[in-house]
Amino acid sequence: MGTAPGDSLPMITKEIDQERILKWAELSGDFNSLHVDPQYAKKTPFKGTIAHGPMSLAFLNELMMQWAGERWPAGGRLLDVRFRAPIRPGERIRVTGTVKGRLRVEGKTWVECELFIEKPDGVRAVEGRARVPEEE
Amino acid sequence: MSKMRDLQEKPELVFEELIPGKPFRPLVYPLTEEKIHQYMETVGDRHPLYVDLQEAKRRGLDSCLAPPGLAAVYARLSYLQDHCMPSGGILLRQEFQFHSPARVGEVLEVRAKVEEAFVDGRGRKRVTFLIEAHRRGGEPVSTIRLYAIWPK
Repeated sequence: MGTAPGDSLPMITKEIDQERILKWAELSGDFNSLHVDPQYAKKTPFKGTIAHGPMSLAFLNELMMQWAGERWPAGGRLLDVRFRAPIRPGERIRVTGTVKGRLRVEGKTWVECELFIEKPDGVRAVEGRARVPEEE
Repeated sequence: MSKMRDLQEKPELVFEELIPGKPFRPLVYPLTEEKIHQYMETVGDRHPLYVDLQEAKRRGLDSCLAPPGLAAVYARLSYLQDHCMPSGGILLRQEFQFHSPARVGEVLEVRAKVEEAFVDGRGRKRVTFLIEAHRRGGEPVSTIRLYAIWPK
């Protein structure tokens, strides 16, 4: 994995559809009507169902596992992940990031990355940072 | 959809009951092979370390790893075992710290508490949950902070 500032992380693409949203509801127990009931969701300010926020966190974790492997769950940090825009069924999203640099925190050297999830129109639906402890 | 009906029968988690320091009852979360497969199928995350024991051993691990993204699932469940979320809340941001990899077959104990609950300068009801997952024996697996705005 490239760890120089500016290096790109892998890019994952995901097709979001109502079936995937329903599967997430089953997995997480979150059956909020905004996610699972298109008729209800149509009447809300969102004008339709949207994907669960935590599903995006799963995608970011998938990205970090691809990039850092077993070092990710052994000590990685996912920081300041912000949900900027809803992700809707029918959208194809891109999950990726870039290496920002190295920093020394908590007595360790870390590689810090900027992560984001981008919608088809280029809007960043989710943004955050990740830190992976550098190999000793 | 009986699961949906069950959830709707739970009382809503009310902001006024979210007192800082208040713990929720611990969630026991077994990392079964079935759950790992369900997660992989839902997310589309097919990392070999979750299912390929030979690959895990080649990398010096003694067993397959549970997907770290499952933390997004058990974090939410940990404070909603006995309640459902009121409609209209917003998940603002979230943070994860991983301490050691969880393994397939392990059982996690997940403890959640309210870290902060206050009304901000714009009149929004803000809540922070602190969630800590340990494996049996006490070793920490993850620490999660979840920042939300409660509906008015």
